[in-house]
Amino acid sequence: MLPPPSRFWQRRRKLIIVGFLIGALAIVYLGGFWRPLPRISVPSYYLDTIVYASLFGLMAIGLTLTYLTTKVPNFAYGSFVTIGIYTSFTLFKLDQLDPYVSTLIAFLIGAVSSVGMYLGILRVLARRGSSLIALMIATLAIDIAFVGVFGIFSDYLTSHFGILDSKKFFRLRADFSLFGTPGVLFVAPISLALITATLYLFLNRTRFGIALRAAVENPSLARVLGIDVERAYVFAWFLAGGLAATAGSYSTLWLAGGTTSGSNLIVEIFASSVLGGLASIYGAAVGGLIIGATEILLTQVGINLVGSWVSIYQKGVPLAIMVITLLLFPQGLVSIKWVGSVRRLKRSVQGLRSVIRRVRRGSRVK
Amino acid sequence: MDVPTLFLFGIDVIRFSIDLATAYGLYLIVSLTLNLEAGFTGIPNFGKVLFVAAGAAVVGFVCGRLAALVLGVNTFGDYNGHIQAIIPPLDKLLAANPVVALEILFAGLAIAATIGAVLGLLTSYPAIRLREDYLGMLLLAAAQLFQIFLGGYEPLIGGSIGISVPDFFGWAGNGIEVRDVFVLGFVAVFAAVVYLYMERVARSPLGRTLRSIRDNEMASRALGKRDAIMRRNVIMVASAISAMAGALLAFYVGSVTPETWTRITWTFWIWVMLIVGGAGNNAGVALGAFAFTFLFKITDQVKFYFQGYIPFDVNWIEYLTFAALLILIIAYRPGGILPEKSSVTLPWKTLAEIMQSKPKRSAGVLGPGFASESEKVKKTGSDG
Repeated sequence: MLPPPSRFWQRRRKLIIVGFLIGALAIVYLGGFWRPLPRISVPSYYLDTIVYASLFGLMAIGLTLTYLTTKVPNFAYGSFVTIGIYTSFTLFKLDQLDPYVSTLIAFLIGAVSSVGMYLGILRVLARRGSSLIALMIATLAIDIAFVGVFGIFSDYLTSHFGILDSKKFFRLRADFSLFGTPGVLFVAPISLALITATLYLFLNRTRFGIALRAAVENPSLARVLGIDVERAYVFAWFLAGGLAATAGSYSTLWLAGGTTSGSNLIVEIFASSVLGGLASIYGAAVGGLIIGATEILLTQVGINLVGSWVSIYQKGVPLAIMVITLLLFPQGLVSIKWVGSVRRLKRSVQGLRSVIRRVRRGSRVK
Repeated sequence: MDVPTLFLFGIDVIRFSIDLATAYGLYLIVSLTLNLEAGFTGIPNFGKVLFVAAGAAVVGFVCGRLAALVLGVNTFGDYNGHIQAIIPPLDKLLAANPVVALEILFAGLAIAATIGAVLGLLTSYPAIRLREDYLGMLLLAAAQLFQIFLGGYEPLIGGSIGISVPDFFGWAGNGIEVRDVFVLGFVAVFAAVVYLYMERVARSPLGRTLRSIRDNEMASRALGKRDAIMRRNVIMVASAISAMAGALLAFYVGSVTPETWTRITWTFWIWVMLIVGGAGNNAGVALGAFAFTFLFKITDQVKFYFQGYIPFDVNWIEYLTFAALLILIIAYRPGGILPEKSSVTLPWKTLAEIMQSKPKRSAGVLGPGFASESEKVKKTGSDG
């Protein structure tokens, strides 16, 4: 057995991850913008990369929070993104409300429905002793129910307010522009960085945050110490739904939306979370950045090399990353010991070489 | 020859029954395979749609081309592009040559089963290594990618618009309904065979082995059951049968469109049937599939009367109803309508008699794997 990690090592690991997060963000961000003046037009896929990466980071943090508390993969999570999308869309269409303002409303609606889902359905089922598969299928059912609700809502928008594109709409033309680029390109990554930093401070510096971590790590021991585990879990679900809705709200400024657009993102969200290890919210943020950036950039490379038809298989990238992660290092990025990893990689390459050499020699003898 | 019509409450009852029975047969087949995976073996297959759609895609891609090749219809070197010109002469020729039509039909089913089994083998690679929750995510994601692939890759089934399938039952009769009765007979026989097979598996030592893997992997491993190989085989068999069901549906409907194959239609609905009926009990699944199909088809018939009074599409209510039904069943009757029964084994006395009378076969009672292992031990012992 491995010795338990020391506190010092734990703290350093998180610092490394946060540092990596900020560094990756900076590279992705500055790579697209810092060009010598006069400005050369930035390829649009760079902008896509920034938006996708930061939105998936936000979503993956939320999904990881729900997984940490209930240990059930939440297939309905994509629908909370759709809640954000529809909140922004509706308020913009009806009141011309700026989507950045409606983000706050979306956060609340998403958070409250997420808590409702947890308290009203998942906790009830879990207390009745449902199996993991039953809980998973229940979350899938909730997702389907949400699709039904969004369908009814969009039909209602069409019939009552005459909004004809309520089922499938293009990006909202409501964004402000900064230095000649859309504002969401600044707001989304900065939000992700701020939220990650705030969560770091919250989970490490406040009593409630530390209690939440304890409740996640060991619920029974936390209960013995007088921590209200249920309250901590409800808060985690509140945050998760809110983050998903926030990401959805931002996404209306960049992506097209519709009744199933959130549910369709579930592949990327799960891939980000799995890559981050499903147990670390910082890992999830990094995973989201990596998945979002890889998805867009790799597809772009494929388009340049092979042809534009590759773009349909964009979702193959996160799936492939997820499969590789699950088969090679199922505990995610967090489990890899980065310090000394180069040395170990060299050693394993040397080992492989010697094996190949031996095999070759053997075939020659024959 | 024509099928008579009988109207009741404004519904053509006979037409409705044919539709209902065919849909029930197909849903029954797929839900039974899901029962084999999830009910007996505990593999949460959230990507069922992948395998069913693969079968249908095989029919759309292979069978029409094969028929055109065999019957000598000119495809102008581009089958998908000239589909509208190819289908009518092909239909006529197929109606005139029932033997050829049936041969291609069975060939299509065989290819669909093969492709299904290969896809099952591919998915089983992670499936036998991962925990339930990770596996569920992976299969769901894989199914969604396959759906995108179907909609995007035009050479296969014409991309998002889909492709028509020539009528391989045209010889059965001129009226479309007579043909449908023949298709129904075909589906019914297939469903009956699958049901009997599943029931036989459930009652056999194999069925008990699968349940032991589901309930306690470690214990079954300790008894010499190779759980990884068992799981792989279960996924392959279930996927092959699901692909055949998908192929049959494509033959019946006469077209393959990617929109038909979604997470909701062929994964979620199938899970509803399984959970409502009773996972791990074939009779329960059959009942659940019937209850679901009946409700679904009745709603289809009746909803037009309500459409005028409701300001939104009635389909959304279907989503909400079935989701609520599923959650209520999980909460209040987790075993389903007909819960799983404990498996039937021989009485202890009979077992003891067998063990005393035939000492060589006594190991066989515990299962084939155990017997062969013990024999191997004996052999190596005598050699050494």
